[in-house]
Amino acid sequence: MIATRGQGVALVVLRTLLGWHFLYEGYYKLVLPAWSPAGAPLAAWSAGGYLRGATGPLAPVFRTLAASGLAGWIDLAVPIALVLVGLSLILGLFTRRGCQGAVLLLALFYLAAIPLDGVPRPGAEGTYLLVNKTLVELAAAVVLLTSRTETIAGLDLLRGRRVRAAQRRDLVDQPKVNA
Amino acid sequence: MHLTPEEQATGRRNFLRAVAGVPVLAGLGAASLARGPIAGGPVRIGYIGVGGEGRVLLGGTDPAYAHVVAMADINPAQLALADAVLEKGGHGKATHYAEWREMIQKEALEGIVIATPLWMHTEITIACLEAGLHVLCEKMMAWDIEGCERMRATARRTGKVLEIGYQRNYNTVYQAAHEGIVKAGVLGDVFMARLAWHRNGNWRRTGDPPAANYDPSKWGYPTWEHLLNWRLYKKYSRGLLAELASHQVNVSNWFFQAEPEAVIGTGGIYRFKDGREVDDHIYATFEYPGGRSAVFSTVESNAFERNYEVFYGTRGTLLLQGESEAYLFEEGAATPAAARPTGVEVQPKAGGPALSASESRAADAAGRAATGSAAGVNLDRLAAYRAEVSGFCSAVRTGAPLLCGPDRAIGSAIACITAVDAVAGKTRLPIRVGAAAQS
Repeated sequence: MIATRGQGVALVVLRTLLGWHFLYEGYYKLVLPAWSPAGAPLAAWSAGGYLRGATGPLAPVFRTLAASGLAGWIDLAVPIALVLVGLSLILGLFTRRGCQGAVLLLALFYLAAIPLDGVPRPGAEGTYLLVNKTLVELAAAVVLLTSRTETIAGLDLLRGRRVRAAQRRDLVDQPKVNA
Repeated sequence: MHLTPEEQATGRRNFLRAVAGVPVLAGLGAASLARGPIAGGPVRIGYIGVGGEGRVLLGGTDPAYAHVVAMADINPAQLALADAVLEKGGHGKATHYAEWREMIQKEALEGIVIATPLWMHTEITIACLEAGLHVLCEKMMAWDIEGCERMRATARRTGKVLEIGYQRNYNTVYQAAHEGIVKAGVLGDVFMARLAWHRNGNWRRTGDPPAANYDPSKWGYPTWEHLLNWRLYKKYSRGLLAELASHQVNVSNWFFQAEPEAVIGTGGIYRFKDGREVDDHIYATFEYPGGRSAVFSTVESNAFERNYEVFYGTRGTLLLQGESEAYLFEEGAATPAAARPTGVEVQPKAGGPALSASESRAADAAGRAATGSAAGVNLDRLAAYRAEVSGFCSAVRTGAPLLCGPDRAIGSAIACITAVDAVAGKTRLPIRVGAAAQS
């Protein structure tokens, strides 16, 4: 239940920002190999390094995945999933599915690299213990999932009207049993 | 130029102080308004001419920047040597061609690196540009001025990248010297530059043809000797002024931010009277606007001076030696070795140091064994070749600015081509004014 108009606007803005983050992350991975605007080549993306460097209780599972025949499939599936989730959240289309996808992906990303040591990691821009930006983004996705923002703004509103109109037509066209 | 160990240490220390904080320019120059990745993998390139110079460029080709698809050379022995360079550099196999036209017709290429004898530069460059290919052409730009201008005009019309291979433009020593010393005014007013490239040896090469019945006549070389020693024949070459001086005049044009207006020349074939057509001793003075001069000499009879460029200013002297060493001396000090306070504010290293210590090179450009340096101004000069090829690929893929495009390279070429005539006539000749600005 949305209490105020401001709350609704804030949730839709949050959904859009989250969607853009997903969309660009996916697009970037798909467009590689490519070049930076400064003229440096960028190598093709692979989940392999992330999976092989997994930490936490599920690390053996992720490392097994990296070494399996699924590695190539994962390299393709992850960016496509990111793009689809991103589009869903930005457009407000199949929003619940998009939010569920976001929660699933972020949970996987978090579980693959849980910050347990509490010291800066090479290449990381901050210092984290248990709570990192991925977990915060995951929490935001859960908020969106439970807030039903598709009822505030997005293409799901149009889709819902069409579905309801079709349902009304069906009701009108039903034969009257007692006639 | 010979310096005592004390002078070397002081000169290096002064240079490093003066350029401290000057970021390496390649990265800055490539800055772009565009954001986000630009699609595309390594640039698919072909090599035309894989002799000594071509193989240096091939060895400097980073597989992350360029995929060498094919190589063309009329000498099959050169192609075999180039294969070894490719393998060493981590490249895959490249298809071989004897005819460069066949290569650019059959292969799906994006760019071409040309390292053929000078007389072929214009024909090949224009054909490649017209075929929609980007071109990195070795220096000098062309055999004659008309060829230079046609190359530049074709690049402009087709919109393709044309880079000329003056590797000093990609050398971090020269970049730092220009930004941190010359441009910063540390030298004061500079009225004279000294450009020297002295060697003691015969430019004539010896070697066997790739096969007993090898006949290069269909490519314009009547005999194997003409192909092997093309630099010694006027039809193919402009001699030492093209092969050596044009590098150094390119630097004086860059540092003076001007082009010479006239040249006085003399020289001749004084030592090696072996049938060669180009001079083995040349002395030329290039006159720049504002009373500035660059005095060039090259001799084939003494290597004491080796090769260097010196800029003599009212407040200091900058010496760049062997493409890898740099020294700065204060003018008016009690001795040349006297330390001078730096005139440049030392900035934080946010952009990375302009120079870093390296003793990796085995020899300098004059072939002399590299000497150690505690101060660490010596750089691996081959890194400049790597940066040059990578810069070309970046320009092709992302539009990154060229460090030696035709507008810069043509100034040096026109000056040196004019100098050839001045030396032949032992006279002073005007150089076409504003050559680089003309379309």
